[in-house]
Amino acid sequence: MSAVRARPPRLLFKTLAVTFATVSIILVIVFVVVSISIGDQVRESVTANLESSQRMFAALETRRQRELLAQASTLAENPTLKAALDTYQAEARTSSEAVKSQLFATIDGELRKVAATIESDAVVLVDMHQSTLAAAGRMGERFPRGRPIALSNSREGTFDGIARLGGGVFRIVAVPLHYGDGATVGTLYLTTSLDTAYADELARLAGTKTAIISDGLMVASTLPAAAGREFEAAMASNRLVAGTKTFNGETYAFRRLVAVGDTAFYALGSIDESSRGVMRQAMRNLGFTALGAMGLALLGSITLARLLADPIGELSTSLARMAATHDVTSRLPLTGSSLEIDALTETFNDLMTSVALAEADTEAAYTGAIRALAMALDARDPYTAGHSDRVSVLSVAIGRTLSLSAEDLEVVRLGALLHDIGKIGVPDAVLRKASGLTAAEFDLIKEHPVLGARILRSVPFLAPHIPIVELHHERPDGRGYPNGLSGDDIPLAARIVHVADAYDAMTSARAYRGARPSGEALRELWRCAGTEFHADIVGALATALPGVTYDDGDTVLARV
Amino acid sequence: MRRYVVSIASLVAVFIAAPRGQAPETGIIAGHVKLTPRIKGRALPSTAYPTRAVGAHDPTSVPEIKNVVVYLKNAAFRGALPPTRSELRQEHETFLPHVLAITRGSTVDFPNDDPIFHNVFSLSSAATFDLRRYPRGQSRSQTFTKAGIVKVFCNIHSHMSATILVLDNPYFTIPALDGSFELPHLPPGEYLLVGWHERVGERQSTVRVERGKTATIDLSLPVEDLQ
Repeated sequence: MSAVRARPPRLLFKTLAVTFATVSIILVIVFVVVSISIGDQVRESVTANLESSQRMFAALETRRQRELLAQASTLAENPTLKAALDTYQAEARTSSEAVKSQLFATIDGELRKVAATIESDAVVLVDMHQSTLAAAGRMGERFPRGRPIALSNSREGTFDGIARLGGGVFRIVAVPLHYGDGATVGTLYLTTSLDTAYADELARLAGTKTAIISDGLMVASTLPAAAGREFEAAMASNRLVAGTKTFNGETYAFRRLVAVGDTAFYALGSIDESSRGVMRQAMRNLGFTALGAMGLALLGSITLARLLADPIGELSTSLARMAATHDVTSRLPLTGSSLEIDALTETFNDLMTSVALAEADTEAAYTGAIRALAMALDARDPYTAGHSDRVSVLSVAIGRTLSLSAEDLEVVRLGALLHDIGKIGVPDAVLRKASGLTAAEFDLIKEHPVLGARILRSVPFLAPHIPIVELHHERPDGRGYPNGLSGDDIPLAARIVHVADAYDAMTSARAYRGARPSGEALRELWRCAGTEFHADIVGALATALPGVTYDDGDTVLARV
Repeated sequence: MRRYVVSIASLVAVFIAAPRGQAPETGIIAGHVKLTPRIKGRALPSTAYPTRAVGAHDPTSVPEIKNVVVYLKNAAFRGALPPTRSELRQEHETFLPHVLAITRGSTVDFPNDDPIFHNVFSLSSAATFDLRRYPRGQSRSQTFTKAGIVKVFCNIHSHMSATILVLDNPYFTIPALDGSFELPHLPPGEYLLVGWHERVGERQSTVRVERGKTATIDLSLPVEDLQ
């Protein structure tokens, strides 16, 4: 009725499972803690990086503007340029086109020389009405002659301004061209295009992403397009100096580097991007650590499992051996591996001791009962009293002479004690009959080995003794009963008991005759050796007889 | 810096009596030049690079009225123009005077009074020349054979400049400190009177000259606030 129970897992698997679960939980906790702390650290470091970028850029920018102004001021002192400009303005109304174009050629030539010496996208010369007279440089053609340039703003006290022209936004450093009498004849603009190239350069210097926003519009940036649009929108609504915001799903820290009027230069650092690199590194380290931890856990749990399982396995092997041999007397050795297992072993040994004692008691009780039964049978006939006891003693003596094992001797001892138990089924009248047994009566007596065997079969404990009881009247010449076995087919124990039985019968008195002396009995046995008795058993009896004593202390010979 | 405002406002007609017993053949134009302020924004200041030092001389110590020339335009002059010889000195890194008017064919000397080299050159169409560099004590000269405005510069000192008006007739003058001027010995007729200033250009007025009489006229030149 019991449900099919799965075999429980091995101890090793359990310790492995427990260890791996523990290590995994620790690793998960470490992972979470590390992720959070990396996020915070990266945010701080990006912000700090932007701050330092801003300080550095502000310092550099101030210096750069000052240097540009110094350069521009020097360039504005170009005598030929000034002379050509002044002359042109003096003659603009009166001179011929040829003269004017010659003057312009001079101006253009000088301006080109100026542009070649300076790091500026365009050098522009404007007159007193802010109209472009001439321009040179990489982007000179963006400033056509006659086009007015409006500075959208200029910081008080400096020449720093922003101009929007031809779709571009330019940062402008301006210096006047004037003479010693204080007269100003024009202004020289050094312009820097705030385009993608400028943003790239700025990004390279600042080590961050950059964006330039002028009058609410993105002029140039190194941000991805989508993020740039979102940044532009965010800056249009509120002009923040610094902060952290998510653009197109990516978190950026941003900071205004410098502002010129309505135009601001921003540095942006992607927190997510920085985190990814650091996180990848941290995860790699964590991975190696996890691998190492798992390896150690594996070794640890295997060792632990073996520490536990090996002594238990040893015990279990010893127990299995004891169970196989029905050995209750052996004692398990102490493994010394742990207090608990040694205690278990000792408890088991104590238990086995008591089991052995109980078993010995039980066997003693059995043996006592059987012996009482045998004595009771012997007592039915006064002449056979003590017969079974004596046969038993003799048989053991013979067996010992033949070097039988202790177990076999025990079988012989009990078997001999019970050899005539079948006579319980033979009527007293037949048993006690002094002589003149009829053939039918003799057949009745010949039944007793088979009857005895049948009785013993009902007691499993007595199974080893059945051959003795059943076959102790078989003869080597095959004329015995009940089966007529011959020679070596007859078990050794049965042969021994057969000889001992005969000897005791001859040396005991019967109603119809007196007891024969031992020597005579031996002679009779020797006479029938080989036919009725096995010769080697008779020899053994002869050897053993001098040492045989019965329970009352008399020797067999002494009784004779 | 100087804030220059000319505020000579009195209008004085000057009558010059003709010499007794002789009927005058010519007439006179007399009048005043008034420099009025025209404030036009302010020049961008430079904090970056100090204006070059120009020595002890303060160029503004010459009154602005002295940079004005009054002359007759398109006046026919019969006969040979009297060639003159004038001086445009280089002193304290400044050309003195700043404005010079001469008749066509005249010669101008450019003596160097500074302890440094100077140069004189011009890109003007009326006279394109370069007198090269020369040291203190030397002088170079240039004869102007074509009428027109000649801007003169020094290619060592970019802040130095001067203007020479080369005129086709001798009817020109530079007003007195109070702005008054007089052009005598004019043949009767109708003239275009011009008041010229370097930064303003020409201001014209038509005037009729009658024999033995003085025509009066006032000119107003809006000079920019130079601060």
